[in-house]
Amino acid sequence: MTGAYFWRRVGYALLTLFVIMTLNFVIFRVMPGDPVSLILSPDFTPEVRQLLRERYGLDKPLWTQYLLYLKSMITFDFGRSFTTRQPVLGELLARLPNTLMLLGTSFVINVVVGVVLGIAMATRQGSRLETGVTGVSLFLNAMPSFFIGLLLLLTFGYFWPIFPIRGTMSVPPPTGFWPTVIDRIYHLVLPVTAVSLSGYGSWYLYTRNNVVGALGQDYVLTARAKGLTKREVLYRHAFRSVLPPIVTLIFLSLPGLITGAVITESIFSLYGIGRYLIDATLQQDYPVVQASFFVIALAVLICNLLADLVYGLVDPRIRLR
Amino acid sequence: MRRILTFVILLALLVSGSALAQGVEWGTRGPHVDEIILPIIMDQEAQIIALLRGDIHVLPGLAQPAHIQRLEAEPNVDITVSPGYHMFYLGINMRRPPLSDPVVRQALAHVIDREEIILSLFQGYMLPLAEFVPPASPFYNPDVDTYPYDPELAKQILDEAGYVMGPDGVRIDPNTGERMREMTIMTPTMEVAATSAMLGMMVAEAAQSIGLPIKAEPLDFNVIVDRISNEVDGGRNFDMYALAWSLGRFPTHLYTLFHSNFDVDGGDNTPGLRDPEYDALAEKVWTPRTYEDAFEAAYEAQAMLSELLPYIPLYSRPYMDAFRSDIVTGYVPHLGFGAASNAQDSIWTPLNIRLVNQERGGTIRWVLEQEPGNLNILVGTSAYDARIFGLVYGPGLIAPEPENNEDMPWEAERWEVGTWTTPEGNEGTKVTYYLRKDITWHDGVPFTAHDIKFTMDYLKEQQVPKYKAAWDNYSHAEVHDDYTITVYFDNVSYWHTYNVAGFLAKHIWEGVEKFDEFEPWKEPHPTVPGLTKMIGTGPFVFKEYVPGEYVRVERYEDFWAGLDR
Repeated sequence: MTGAYFWRRVGYALLTLFVIMTLNFVIFRVMPGDPVSLILSPDFTPEVRQLLRERYGLDKPLWTQYLLYLKSMITFDFGRSFTTRQPVLGELLARLPNTLMLLGTSFVINVVVGVVLGIAMATRQGSRLETGVTGVSLFLNAMPSFFIGLLLLLTFGYFWPIFPIRGTMSVPPPTGFWPTVIDRIYHLVLPVTAVSLSGYGSWYLYTRNNVVGALGQDYVLTARAKGLTKREVLYRHAFRSVLPPIVTLIFLSLPGLITGAVITESIFSLYGIGRYLIDATLQQDYPVVQASFFVIALAVLICNLLADLVYGLVDPRIRLR
Repeated sequence: MRRILTFVILLALLVSGSALAQGVEWGTRGPHVDEIILPIIMDQEAQIIALLRGDIHVLPGLAQPAHIQRLEAEPNVDITVSPGYHMFYLGINMRRPPLSDPVVRQALAHVIDREEIILSLFQGYMLPLAEFVPPASPFYNPDVDTYPYDPELAKQILDEAGYVMGPDGVRIDPNTGERMREMTIMTPTMEVAATSAMLGMMVAEAAQSIGLPIKAEPLDFNVIVDRISNEVDGGRNFDMYALAWSLGRFPTHLYTLFHSNFDVDGGDNTPGLRDPEYDALAEKVWTPRTYEDAFEAAYEAQAMLSELLPYIPLYSRPYMDAFRSDIVTGYVPHLGFGAASNAQDSIWTPLNIRLVNQERGGTIRWVLEQEPGNLNILVGTSAYDARIFGLVYGPGLIAPEPENNEDMPWEAERWEVGTWTTPEGNEGTKVTYYLRKDITWHDGVPFTAHDIKFTMDYLKEQQVPKYKAAWDNYSHAEVHDDYTITVYFDNVSYWHTYNVAGFLAKHIWEGVEKFDEFEPWKEPHPTVPGLTKMIGTGPFVFKEYVPGEYVRVERYEDFWAGLDR
């Protein structure tokens, strides 16, 4: 990888970020209505609406609003939510740990279970076990996550009530470090299971299909002909060749960790980013949606850049110029 | 049969008043419990499960028939029903022909079968509403023309007005001599509000059956609001729409929703009603000299609206709140506010609720269905913020009692309403309040007339949008002594009596420069350990809010209406 390549990629990323920031501003302005007109109450006279518009800075010319917006994004001073009047950055940071805990844990489980199961089943192609695992994985992958979540809620929250059904801690929470850690894990079991059950399937199918494809290649046949053990053939040759796309996929999936899982967060009452973002979008809460989409765009661009760079590291055949 | 029975029960409650109908005893002293924990549970299924598990004891605001029926079948769950200040209606754009013709609106009103809508879409759990003030309000006029369901009469009205049936089943507009133009009813989409979308279809089908070419048009909620609120080329871009209003205890919406002053861009007079005679009545509702004046004007205004038909009211949603009857008792259904849905307007359940077989002490778990937005009382506007405010701040100077919403002295022992002459020579309202002398803020500082004056001055100086009704016509206040204050307004309105507030502790708020950036619940109290700057004079002390998890309040030991006082 050359320095010129790196800086060229960074330049493209910054340009893309600027376009996204501009679109982010424009899209919410061209949507019908504004955050003030969406407040429906017979007590909300046109004068009160005007008062709020002034307070939110919506009475300023659009260009002024745009410049202020760019400044706020670049300085990470995202201002206050229109609806809650809370600092947006603080709200996002407060929600991030729960979202990362839910989606990070699920992500690791999905990748590990999906990849390991994918490799294992690729070597048992056509067996009853493989057919069964593939069928179940396809079925779960096709099930909407809200359905799995509700099913878990009913089964383990009501009929066999062994798990908590809301939040990340008991009310009131236990005291002491370990009781707190155990309480947190206990509360995460159902939501993490819901996300993992509906998410591991795609990793499993991707890995399995790629490994099956690799096992039919000439270089694998050569490796077998050389007398290598089954394990060596599988991991040093077949899996090695499917590793680059999996690593790329991992990096490309990372931004998803901060976008939140709206449905799961709602079902299990988790204080996460997904629900916050959806509510803000519906209420046209400009500071929140602009900041959130900016952070997500930034994460996507950084992860894309990393994926490009890492690709060269895991696959020596690729040279980045 | 069961559905019809439910419907009849709701109607019976409507007539008799919720608290009386259920034989509830309530007291003005409390609270009985030591603590209320409000766990945040957002999903409705999870709320039901939490109630059945006993994780929560109070679940306000049941709305889905399936949930109501499921909980009704539980022997340990009690559901209270209280008619609410709620109106679901069909709004009509009176600026556009042929809807500008009252005959068309009247025919449409006659072809809508409210009871069928309620039975088929809500399984009976709504109250039919044909008036412009819900029956929960004492200002409700039961004697207005309500256009009962009668399709034959609807046809006859149209025929007599010259809207004869055309060959294709669509009536001819006598003003143009051509087929009536197609009209639409905007509703939220099936995904967002299935019952509203289906209601739109039912009304459209009924209209088509008498030759009115009306179709339902489900749209994004923001698009509906934009079209009904904002003017395009001097008009508004819609024919009809189906939405709801949450109304207040007083009928001031008869002014803000229908006076011609609000037929302006962004104003809530969406139908475009412009009638000088009605305006005069609405102004009397807005600025009555006395309660009786307001009563009389509201009655007349409703009668006139039923002739003008800018809306066709459809139904009113009662508040249905669920309680674990094997764990808690003492909940008080409040006419118009419910037993647990509106703690800011109704103090009675927080004061009276207690554990079964335990007169005092213990913890109640009362769910919060959404995250509180902001616990600064000058900023927070959601129902979930309001629930916490109700517990911490209480009802204020005057409280509505639960059976008929009559005024009850609360922090003010009595009050006198009069008039004065403003420096400009106009007549204005003045209200003198005589305060109780045993009220203290949660940090022990006495609550006095100075707090009221500070609150009113602060609201006006900071132009707090949420309380514009309170400060808009506020002139000044005169503190006679620590417990007597006269508040002056620069116009005459009996409603000013209820606009005076004293919920800001002067010793906490006087240094706050930007009210909307102040986060009193996050800042520790300057002198009292264990308290925050969110202090009130209500029955419960705010202790903690853990975002995403719960809010916790504790009984205020020195509450002036406490059981030991």
